Amino acid sequence: MSREPLLSVEKIVKTFGGFHALDGVTLSVEPGEILGLVGPNGSGKTTLINVISGLYHPDGGRVLYRGRSIASWPMHQRARQGINRTFQIPKPFKSLTVRENVELAYHFARQGAMTVDNALDFTGLAPSADRPAQSLNSSQQKLLDLARALAIGPDLLLVDELAAGLGPQELHHIADSLRSLADRSMALIVVEHHLGFVNQLTDRVIVMNAGKEIFEGSLTLAAEDATVSAVYLGT
Amino acid sequence: MLEYSIVAGILFGVFFGFMALGLNLIFGVMQVVNLAHGDFVVLGGYLAVIAYSAGHINPVVSLVGAFVLFFVIAFALYFPVIPRLTRSKDPEMLSLILFFGLSQIIEALDVIGFGNNPRSLPLAIMGAAPWHFLGQSYQMAWVITAIVSLVMIGATYLFLYYTRIGYAARAIMGSREEAAASGLPVAQTSAIIFGVGIGLAAMAGVLSPFMIGSVDPSTGLGLTTIAFAIVVIGSLGNPLGSVLGGLVYGVSVMLMQTYFSSWSDLVPYLLLLIIVLAKPSGLLGKGVRNA
Amino acid sequence: MLSSGRTHLRSHRGVNALIPLLLLAAFSLAPLVYANHAVIFQMMAFMVLAQGVNLLYGFTGYLPFGYVGFFGIGAYGMGIGIELFHLPGLAALLVGALFAVVIALILSPLLRLSGAYFAISSLAASEVLYNIVANPALTHITNGPYGESLVQSYHPLTSYVAMVVLLVLTTVLVIVIKNTPFGRALLAIREDPVSAEMAGIAVVRTRTTVWILSALIGGLTGAIFGWHLSVFYPSTVFDLSISILAIVFTLFGGGGTAIGPILGSVVLYGLYNAIGISAPQYFELIYGLLIVLLVLFLPGGVVSLLQRRGSYVP
Repeated sequence: MSREPLLSVEKIVKTFGGFHALDGVTLSVEPGEILGLVGPNGSGKTTLINVISGLYHPDGGRVLYRGRSIASWPMHQRARQGINRTFQIPKPFKSLTVRENVELAYHFARQGAMTVDNALDFTGLAPSADRPAQSLNSSQQKLLDLARALAIGPDLLLVDELAAGLGPQELHHIADSLRSLADRSMALIVVEHHLGFVNQLTDRVIVMNAGKEIFEGSLTLAAEDATVSAVYLGT
Repeated sequence: MLEYSIVAGILFGVFFGFMALGLNLIFGVMQVVNLAHGDFVVLGGYLAVIAYSAGHINPVVSLVGAFVLFFVIAFALYFPVIPRLTRSKDPEMLSLILFFGLSQIIEALDVIGFGNNPRSLPLAIMGAAPWHFLGQSYQMAWVITAIVSLVMIGATYLFLYYTRIGYAARAIMGSREEAAASGLPVAQTSAIIFGVGIGLAAMAGVLSPFMIGSVDPSTGLGLTTIAFAIVVIGSLGNPLGSVLGGLVYGVSVMLMQTYFSSWSDLVPYLLLLIIVLAKPSGLLGKGVRNA
Repeated sequence: MLSSGRTHLRSHRGVNALIPLLLLAAFSLAPLVYANHAVIFQMMAFMVLAQGVNLLYGFTGYLPFGYVGFFGIGAYGMGIGIELFHLPGLAALLVGALFAVVIALILSPLLRLSGAYFAISSLAASEVLYNIVANPALTHITNGPYGESLVQSYHPLTSYVAMVVLLVLTTVLVIVIKNTPFGRALLAIREDPVSAEMAGIAVVRTRTTVWILSALIGGLTGAIFGWHLSVFYPSTVFDLSISILAIVFTLFGGGGTAIGPILGSVVLYGLYNAIGISAPQYFELIYGLLIVLLVLFLPGGVVSLLQRRGSYVP
């Protein structure tokens, strides 16, 4: 039985100058589902995350959240309505401590059950809570982005390239954690280069190329798909 | 009247474009807004006035001296200050404040050294006969100043496009990181451009008594604002943009002086506000900054 | 120093309350012991202006070279309230405040700019205001370049008290903002506006709020100043050196704290009084050198010496 999608993206177009970063991409995600978004560099994955989170305004198409068009919502309103994200290049408030970073999001946008301490524990940052964010390494700063996003209690979490720089042990742990979020009926869209990590997370991936989705299904099937291998291998 | 305003506007515009050139170069290469720019222009003006009154040296000769002297001063100033700023937490803001401090120091030293009274040069030293054009006559000093300005803008263009240092400077304007990564001498080039930028400001200062009327310690910040407006109109970091910005500024001021003279002081400020709000990347700017 | 805002307001309640109380006491008693009331009044005015600059620069990073525009427009609002609308002094103050807020709203698109663009454009905006107010074409409203005379409403005691009240309230405002989530949100916006939005902070509205508060403070200072002076010209109340001094005092003491601008005003305005009136160029030289040295060696101002040692600085 198909549930109502939490988010549907319909025929989104985003151009920069003459370049079509997104060229009519369409996808949707349901509560409790993890959607992997893969594709070569420049295929538009991060641009799509930026459109959904409100950093970019699309030049065409619709973004529906709980069935409503959110085109006119500024980012902070999306955050308060339960959409949040991490950044490929982490963006913590560097002069604040780890805990203060999370507290801020909790104060201004919380709506879920997770507390500041929960978010810190969940991401394993609790021991560093009182350190200034600028003293964290890059992977830890990405986890801090995640903790900050979790502190608002999101219903839709957009994860942009979390795996880079993490070891196999940590990857395994993070994959488990993200799946446990989905078990609490959170919807996740995970942009990832690390296909092994995606494989641990979900069966459903969308492969993007040149601003469009070219394949939807499991990674195993994707590997057998002619179009996908053409894009990845250039054959 | 219209012809007069436009021709005089072009003569003044070329000069003001030249006056803004150094600010533009330094910003382009170092991302530093030299708030003391106008004060270096004023210092150049004092140099011309003193050279003329003490030694009857024609300002055209003083131009060379001004460039050499201020190139050396700025080159020496670069190393203890700029690298320290670029490494700091907020280089753009801190450099703005530092150069604001420098502008106050220069203004104070001007008053201590030369007094508060405006100083000027007789226009006649550049030729007493006016220049006749399309039935109107213009001061020969304006014409010569505009020609010298054009020559210097041309020389700067050749420097940027046909020398190794100019090539490095343009590469740094494009991307500092990539210029450094490809082994270009970023620090030395920046120091030289800093010297050239301030040298050019002083040169424009030598000519300034003819165009602004007098040399006065208190005009520095106003000149910096005009230069900033010109540079922003033409696009920050684009040397040719200074010429376009200067022309827009010169012609607008002259038209306002002719038709709405009591509002003409507003011109540089209004032009700046309109351009930053409507098109922050300037008339020649490519693309827009992302939020 | 930044942990948990609300608790800070409480845990440092003593030292936080001490500062406004000290200011209140000092400026209530100062006229009894020091005969030159003009100096005391001007020092207060600069303290308030420095706090107004501080609110904007210290918390959001926007450096308003044109801050004097709000001061000047406040003074002219006061003048118009008295001369044109025949209002009593205190009611005319509100006209000055209103003018400043309206101008701030009109100029709020400037907040889209950052760094040098904002700093210089705000200067341009204040020059535009000056040229409009001083324009002979507006003589019937502003009396153009000939200035305002409010002698029939001159009441030095009331305007003095008004300035004390404004100083105390402004200082309280800065302390409250510093120690509440609102202030933390401002710091977050300064560090990373995109992340701040994702943390649920309405960046544009928060910035605009501070901008308007800062304009209101500048406008009220100008209005009270104009009232106290009772005769002034556009060139007096739009003098760029008013902005410059307020900025220098803030930078010297240290932005982002309540005490920095006060400290800066006391020390540097004191110095200005000692040497700046007879030999302004030497005063200018000194503060020019101070700015350069501060940027190179102590960008957080004097109070950062205490903050480095981990002390709470209100």
